[in-house]
Amino acid sequence: MITRQFPIALSIFFAVYIIQEAVVNQFRFFGGGFSLFLIFSLIWAILSSPKIAALGGFMAGLLMDLSPSSAGLIGQWTLLMIVACYAVSYLGSGNESLSSNPLGFTFLTTVTIFFVELFYVITGALLGVASGDSEQVLITLVGIFIWSLVVTPIVLPLFSRLHAFTFNTRSAI
Amino acid sequence: MRKAGAGSARLPLIILIVTALFLITLDLRGVGVLQGARAASQTVLSPFQRAGNVVLTPIKEFFSDVTHLGRTRSQIERLRADNAKLQTELLNRKNADAQLDQLKTILDLAGTAGFKVVNARVISQGSSQSFAQTITIDSGSNAGIKRNMMVLSEFGIAGVVKDVYSNSALISLATDPSFRIGIRVAGSQQIGILSGRGNRSASLQLIDNLTTLQVGDVLLSLGSVANRPFVPGVPVGYITAVDNSAGAVAQSATVHLYTDFNALGVVAVVVGSPVRNPGDALVPTKPQPTPTPTVTVYVTPSPTPTN
Repeated sequence: MITRQFPIALSIFFAVYIIQEAVVNQFRFFGGGFSLFLIFSLIWAILSSPKIAALGGFMAGLLMDLSPSSAGLIGQWTLLMIVACYAVSYLGSGNESLSSNPLGFTFLTTVTIFFVELFYVITGALLGVASGDSEQVLITLVGIFIWSLVVTPIVLPLFSRLHAFTFNTRSAI
Repeated sequence: MRKAGAGSARLPLIILIVTALFLITLDLRGVGVLQGARAASQTVLSPFQRAGNVVLTPIKEFFSDVTHLGRTRSQIERLRADNAKLQTELLNRKNADAQLDQLKTILDLAGTAGFKVVNARVISQGSSQSFAQTITIDSGSNAGIKRNMMVLSEFGIAGVVKDVYSNSALISLATDPSFRIGIRVAGSQQIGILSGRGNRSASLQLIDNLTTLQVGDVLLSLGSVANRPFVPGVPVGYITAVDNSAGAVAQSATVHLYTDFNALGVVAVVVGSPVRNPGDALVPTKPQPTPTPTVTVYVTPSPTPTN
């Protein structure tokens, strides 16, 4: 990932980030919607080794922190994404039942998104970032979970092919 | 289950986590470089957001129509009849006219109060992944917009300018959980603090218990020192429920905000404060019920029965 893969990976991350900010954010979805960039980052992490997943999580988190619509402190998403990407890579990449079939992949990605968002609220509360009343937070968490469950299987083939293209691996989900 | 390389990843992982904690510490201490990075990010994203807004506006309108189908069936029936007549004329001007209407109402509101405003189009809705309620507009510091300026919609307050870039600005909406505004109740002049709750319903906490709140009471912005961030007299919302819990230190209530945050197309940023406080001049007029005509028929019995 140092010479050839890193610039390609960075370009892909940035392209998905632009799509998130310029296209997905144009819509106000019921129940909170979904984050295409978050889904992409976690899919990328599951397909990568833990070291590359952590680095990808760092890039993704930093871009999410730099998003003008991000309410938290710079570094909050970075921290969460490093840990989340490392964790899903560690758990998922050696487990064939999770990472080699689309259902397991979708399940792992969606559950991780739920917990990442939950930990974002918790760490935000600890750092003094307001997230709204508990009822609204719960609605948004459940909404993001359901939307992610719907969107992940749709974008999974594309994102796995992008990963395979970057790392010259043959298999793609 | 464990993948090869996990052990060797620990050192880079620790370095990355320490870097993230370092960034959080810098941001907590208010280091300007990090906010500059966020501003640079918005400057880069702004052209993409404008392009996305132009391309996706017809799709957004289509989905907006679909989602409102069940709620306003009767309204749709009425509009369908009107639409048949106007469809040809309005086909290419639908979006422009809608924004023009919003703009006209905003200008009426601002003109009545004597506010100097800069109009702007909404080019992006904020992401909900961070539980923040924001929008991005297509005017920034080049148009005279500064941080902590009040933003108006056609119905009243929309939010406050959170960050400003050269040709765009980030607006924190009144629904944002961190949003707080001092208000006064039109008529009784009670004052209180309104807090956003993440949706169109906000919570109100009064400062004292001198009088009783009523459902339907209209709330206006109280105004800030030197009119920044809030100018006085702007409609905020009306009370839908009052919490009269025994033993409460101050009265609290649920407020329905006037602005429809899902339909924000054009907004106005108040860049010049009014010469005098507009008072209650901007209180929205209550809808008048349509009078139902009553027809009275007098029947005079005929002298002879008819067959």
